[in-house]
Amino acid sequence: MIITELLSARVYGPDFLGFVSDVRFSLDTESVGLPARLYGIIVSPHARSSSLGFERSGLRSPWPIAALVRWRHRGSFLVRWADIERIDVNRIQLRPGFECASPELP
Amino acid sequence: MTPDNDRQSPRWVDAHLHLLDRQVLDVHGVPIAVVDDLELSDIPAGQEIPRDAPAPTITALLSGPTLATRIFGGRPPKSRMLSTPWVAVREVGVVIKLSVGRDTRDLSWTERWVRDHVIGHIPGGRHTPKGEESDQAQSNDRGGGDS
Repeated sequence: MIITELLSARVYGPDFLGFVSDVRFSLDTESVGLPARLYGIIVSPHARSSSLGFERSGLRSPWPIAALVRWRHRGSFLVRWADIERIDVNRIQLRPGFECASPELP
Repeated sequence: MTPDNDRQSPRWVDAHLHLLDRQVLDVHGVPIAVVDDLELSDIPAGQEIPRDAPAPTITALLSGPTLATRIFGGRPPKSRMLSTPWVAVREVGVVIKLSVGRDTRDLSWTERWVRDHVIGHIPGGRHTPKGEESDQAQSNDRGGGDS
């Protein structure tokens, strides 16, 4: 599978939740080969496009763009890999009782 | 929404934000490609994923002719995408640095083909220009070379 098959896919829990706006990986910098494991998907309820990182950091400038992008991606959340039940073409189904985490980067 | 507590030790990278469209440099710092896509290890598509299934990993960086598909939609065929194994990645930052030279990658095959089949047939096309050789020699004579 390639990453663009996941990006923009529609995400469903009990109902439609949004679109995959990004995919987060954990990079093990201590190991040889920097293994990058899929950690979770960032779901945006309103927009398919990338949020350019505005909702994942404290960036507030340039303020018109930051405000617009944050508004478009309001309500975004992170869902961990363990909460993904099924991946189909352009559709991701989450497990019942899945947890939403903050999409902000540390 | 619960806070994301278990993100302490590893470094986090988001595909859109940190990997896609980044320039790829070989071990000598020469730009060789741009990341257009990422290949993941097997995900059971269309089947239920067991709760304890290991998370997929990135197996390769993919580069290819994606301009037209970005404008008009769709994806280029997989056969047109050239891959660089993820194990060759040395550092992920503003650019992605590899631990291998570009001649070992398929990404620069067009450049090598033109060098061998076109430039190589032009008189003087198979050796370093004399000016550069003499400049290097003068630099060494003055003790300017690496010691």
